[in-house]
Amino acid sequence: MSRIYTLDPRDTAETAPPARALRPASLDGKTLGLLSNNKPHSEDLLRMVAGIIGQRYSLAGTVEYNKGGHQWPADRSALEDLASRCDVMIHATAE
Amino acid sequence: MQNEQFQFDDWEEALDFYFGEGLTDGLPVVPPTPERVQAMLDHCGLGAPDILGTEGIRHKQFPAGKVAVSAVMAGCLPEHFPVVVAAVSAVCDRAYNLHASSTSTNGIANLVLVSGPYASRIRMNHGVNAFGNGNRANAAIGRAINLLKANFYGSISQEMDKSTYGHSGKYSFCFAEDLATSPWPSLAESKGFRAGSSTVTMVAANAPLQLETHGDRDPEGFLTAAAHAMLGFGPRISEMVLAISQELMAYVAASGWSREQVAAFLHEKTLRTAGEWDDWRRMDKLPADADRDELVGCVAGPDRITVVPAGGDAGEFMAVITSWGSSRSVTREIVAPA
Repeated sequence: MSRIYTLDPRDTAETAPPARALRPASLDGKTLGLLSNNKPHSEDLLRMVAGIIGQRYSLAGTVEYNKGGHQWPADRSALEDLASRCDVMIHATAE
Repeated sequence: MQNEQFQFDDWEEALDFYFGEGLTDGLPVVPPTPERVQAMLDHCGLGAPDILGTEGIRHKQFPAGKVAVSAVMAGCLPEHFPVVVAAVSAVCDRAYNLHASSTSTNGIANLVLVSGPYASRIRMNHGVNAFGNGNRANAAIGRAINLLKANFYGSISQEMDKSTYGHSGKYSFCFAEDLATSPWPSLAESKGFRAGSSTVTMVAANAPLQLETHGDRDPEGFLTAAAHAMLGFGPRISEMVLAISQELMAYVAASGWSREQVAAFLHEKTLRTAGEWDDWRRMDKLPADADRDELVGCVAGPDRITVVPAGGDAGEFMAVITSWGSSRSVTREIVAPA
């Protein structure tokens, strides 16, 4: 009996997974970035999370940035600026 | 040819495999044999590695071979493939925002709107049941895009695709412009493409809302009804499509209204004050210092309303289709072999 051959519709290209940034051992002395996607209450939520983290660690400070909308990535220049000013970032969605 | 091949003893086993791997939309697919895929590519003079587009957010590339696999699985014939190729190029435009629209809870489908003579060449439906079932080209072309989005792009239902409801257009949503009864230049020409060209316009589309009008032969009358339907979708929609069926298009033609006049009328009719939209809770709550008297439309301007003749020959019907979020429709020319 003849065999049937078919092809794979999936993306089978071998691509390296995105590299993850190194995680700090502690948040003590670190600057925490809060990247809002402008969803309602997202800034409130991020500040609440930062407040909880601040109770557990001695943060050097926080930097807030609102990227203006949840439908598009943040501008590259904004991300580079945040990367230069922050040690860790939190980005979240909220309603 | 692509080298990721599966082997089966019979068609049933092949079908079961694609179901089992979650590679269908819930319906059976045509097993993508290398021969069928190659026929797609040959029809367009493409090689499997040729890149048809690079999506604008994740920068994912769409090789022609993978697109052809989805087209075969969807049931496309080779002559349908030029439309699929143009559609893939369109959704890769950053303005379309394929990534976000493919993940959003809004649950849009990728509407494939074909304009120009190529639609009739491949026997697409623009008339009775234009959005519905029964036409292979419409069904297969629209389905090809959705299968590609799921299987290759990764927008898998309930995984990356987080649609709250979705809609049946996510199986296939594809129709042609009715040029046979339209008094206007084609949509392709109205978008600046050369006379006689064929185009595909991709819209990140919510489900269509059909409305019936009652006896108005004056466009101001029945387009007022269309505007009222548009108001239900709220302000600041990125784009809207209004499909007008044949009886009403005859009245439009008799009145001498242009496509642009229809769009301008609709836009004007949907202007409401920010305060009214706010009262109806159809926009983010206005700040205390906002201008509540500012006029806000369903869309930003008449150029955001695509008016297209389509639909059956009986009944005074129209259909409104709204687009997702900030996504913009994108139009590409269909390059078909002579």
